[in-house]
Amino acid sequence: MGNPLLTFWSRRLQQEEQQRRARRARALAAAESAGRASETVFLVLRRMRAPLIVLIAIFSVSVLGLTLIPGADGEGRPVPMGFFDAIYVMSYTATTIGFGEIPYPFTYNQRMWVTISIYLTVIGWAYAIGSLLSLLQDRSFRQALAVQRFSRRVARLAEPFVLVAGFGRAGELLGHSMDRLGRRVVVLDVDSERIEGLDLESFHADVPGLTADARDAGHLGVAGLDHPCCEAVVALTNDDEANLAVVMATALLRPEVPVIARATTATMADRMRAFGSPSVINPFDVFGDHLGLALRAPASYQLLTWLESGPGAPLPPRGSPPRTGRWIVCGYGRLGRELTRDLRAEGIEVTVVDPTPRDDVDDAVVAGGFEPGVLQGLGLEEAAGFVAGTDNDITNLSLAATARSAHPGLFVAARQNRPSSAPLFAAMELDALLVPTEVVAHQVYAQLSTPLLWRFLHDMPARGDDWAAALVDRLTDLCGTHLQALWKLRLTPQEAPALRAWLSSGEARLGDLLRSPENRSDSLHAVPLLVLRGEGATLAPEPDFVLAPGDELLLVGWPAARRALDSTLHVDSVRAYVTTGRRVPSSWVWRKVSGVEHDREPARR
Amino acid sequence: MNLEKVVFGFFVLLAATLNFGFFIGDMRDPEVHNRYELFAAVVVNLIALVLKFGDRTQIGAVHLATSLVAALQLIAASLVFGYATYVSSAGLTEQSMAAVVSLSGGALMANVVSVVLLVVETVSYHRG
Repeated sequence: MGNPLLTFWSRRLQQEEQQRRARRARALAAAESAGRASETVFLVLRRMRAPLIVLIAIFSVSVLGLTLIPGADGEGRPVPMGFFDAIYVMSYTATTIGFGEIPYPFTYNQRMWVTISIYLTVIGWAYAIGSLLSLLQDRSFRQALAVQRFSRRVARLAEPFVLVAGFGRAGELLGHSMDRLGRRVVVLDVDSERIEGLDLESFHADVPGLTADARDAGHLGVAGLDHPCCEAVVALTNDDEANLAVVMATALLRPEVPVIARATTATMADRMRAFGSPSVINPFDVFGDHLGLALRAPASYQLLTWLESGPGAPLPPRGSPPRTGRWIVCGYGRLGRELTRDLRAEGIEVTVVDPTPRDDVDDAVVAGGFEPGVLQGLGLEEAAGFVAGTDNDITNLSLAATARSAHPGLFVAARQNRPSSAPLFAAMELDALLVPTEVVAHQVYAQLSTPLLWRFLHDMPARGDDWAAALVDRLTDLCGTHLQALWKLRLTPQEAPALRAWLSSGEARLGDLLRSPENRSDSLHAVPLLVLRGEGATLAPEPDFVLAPGDELLLVGWPAARRALDSTLHVDSVRAYVTTGRRVPSSWVWRKVSGVEHDREPARR
Repeated sequence: MNLEKVVFGFFVLLAATLNFGFFIGDMRDPEVHNRYELFAAVVVNLIALVLKFGDRTQIGAVHLATSLVAALQLIAASLVFGYATYVSSAGLTEQSMAAVVSLSGGALMANVVSVVLLVVETVSYHRG
C-alpha cells in the first residue's frame, strides 16, 4: 500500500477490530463459566423433581381420603370432613406435630386411614428432606455456589486489584506484602486447601479466592480478568504450562493489562514472550544474577534485597562472598546451570558435582557429593565457596553440613525448596540461602508496588558499591534496622495543590520540602530514593536538588513523615512555613489584617 | 417413545382438562362446580409445575412461567373457596363462587398456553 494515509487508516481499523474481538472473547469466557455455574443449579432443581412429586402425590391422596371418609359429630351423626379441615389435619400430622383429632374425635374408619397416611407422609418428607440435604452436600453444587459467591465478590470490587493465579508460598508472600500496601488481591488456586486457608490468614482487606484451574480462561474471567479495575495479572503456579496459559489468556483477552509470570526454564520464558510483553521471572536466573551482584557489590546487593522485601523487613546482613578462589556447585539442575554460568561470567573457577551425567557440561564430576571422600577429593579445603543446589532439602542440608565440617571458613550457600524446612536452614546459619518462592514473591512485589521502585532497583547497581553502602547507612540512621513505609509522590496540581506556585518558581529545593511542619529546622524522617522527570531518573537526590512540576518522587520513611508531608502538599500556610520559615495566616480575614500577601493563585480547582 | 415425554404431556394436558372441567358451568351456581375437581386441578397443576423444574431452554422457561401462573391462580381460587365456606358469615354466596370460578378461568388461560406450547414443541420436533 503506497498511500501513507491509507496505511494509517487500515492500521487503525485493524487495531479496533482486534480490540473488539478481545472484548467479545472476554464476554464469552466469563459467560461460559457463569453459565456452567447456573447449569448446576438447574441440575439440582431437576434432581428435586422426583421427591417433590412424591410428596405432592402422598399429601393429596391422604387429604382426598380424609374428605371422602365420613366422620361423626358428638351425637354420632355422620359429618363429612371438609377440605380445609383435611388439609389442616394432614399438614400437622405429616410434619409429626400432631395437634389431635379435630373438629370431632375420629371414627375408627378415619383413624385407620390416618394411620396409613402417617406412615406414607413421613416417608415422603424423609425422602424429600434427605434428597435436599444430600444435594447440599454435593460437590458440584457446592462448587457452583462457591463460583457464584466468588464472582459476586469480585464484581463488587470497586478499587484496583491484582489477580494472582497460583496461591502457593510465593503467592501468599506477595499477597501479604500487597495487603500491607493497602492493595487488593484476588486469588485462584487448584488446591482447595490453600483457598480454604485464606480464611485463617490475617489479611486487612477481604481476599476473594476460588478453587479453580487457572488454565481455564473462563475461571480467569470469573476472577476478574474482564473487570475494569484489574490492574495486573500475576501467574505464580507451580506448573510452567499453567503460567503460560495465564499469560496467553491475558494477552489475548486483555492486552492492555500487564502480566508477570514465573517460568523455570529459558524455553518457557521465550514461549511466554511470544505473547505481548509479559514480565517473566525465572527464580534461578534471578538468584544467579543476585549472586553475581553480591560478588561484585555486597552493599548494592544488601540494599536490593532490603527494598525488595517490603515494609517491615529487617536489614539483611551484608554477606561477603569470596571474589577469588574456586567454587564447588552441587546439583546441576536449573539452579546449578544458571549459577555456574553466572559465576564463570564473573571469572570464577567452578567445579560441578552432579549424580547424573549431563551432556552439556564436560567437566562435571559424577557423584552425589555426600559420598565419603568425594568432596575432599575435589579439594574442598582449598575451595572458596560451596553451593548445595539440588532440589532435595535433606540432601542440601547434609551437603552444607559436610562442607562446613570439612572446611569451617568456607562460604556456604544452599537452596531451600520446601517452606517446612525453613527452621532447619535458619539454624544452619548459612552464608547465603536461596528460596525460589521468596525470590519470585520479592521480584513481583518490586514490580507491582510502584514502577518507581522497580526503576530504582534496576538503575541502582550501576551506581557502585560505595554509593549503596552510604545509602544503606542513611536509611538505617533514619528508620533503624526495619524498613519503614515506601510511598510515591506526584508533584501535580491534583496531588500537591499547595506547591504549584513554589514549584514553578525554579527554586523548589527538595531539602526545603522535606522539613517538619512543626519545626522547620528538623527534617522529616524520610529519604528520597528517586526522582523521575519524564524518562530521566535521579537516584537518591541531594537536598539541593531543584524540583519541577510533574516530578514523581519515591520516598522511604516513617508513616508519620508521610502524613506531615501530606499536609505540606495540601495546606498553603504549612507549605509557606516549611519553605520560607514565615508563619503565614491561613484565614482570609487574618491575612488581610496582617497585610501578608499570599503567593498562591486565586483560582484553584 | 420416550416415557418422560408421555408423563410430561399427560400431566400438562390433565392439568388443563381438570381446570376446564371445574371452570365450565354457570359462574354463580355452586352446584355445577365440584370441589373435588378443584382439588384435583390444584394437585395436578403442582405436579406439572415440579415436572417443569430444571429445563434451561427458552421454551422450558415459558412452560415453567405458565405453570406457575396456573398453580398460583388455582391456589388463590381454593383459598377463596375455603374462606367463603369456613370463615365468611355469609357462607358460599354467588359473588364468592363467581370469584372462585373466574380465578380458575384465569388459570385455564395459562393452562391453554401451556398446552399450545406443548403442541408447538411437538410440531417443531424433527425426527433424526
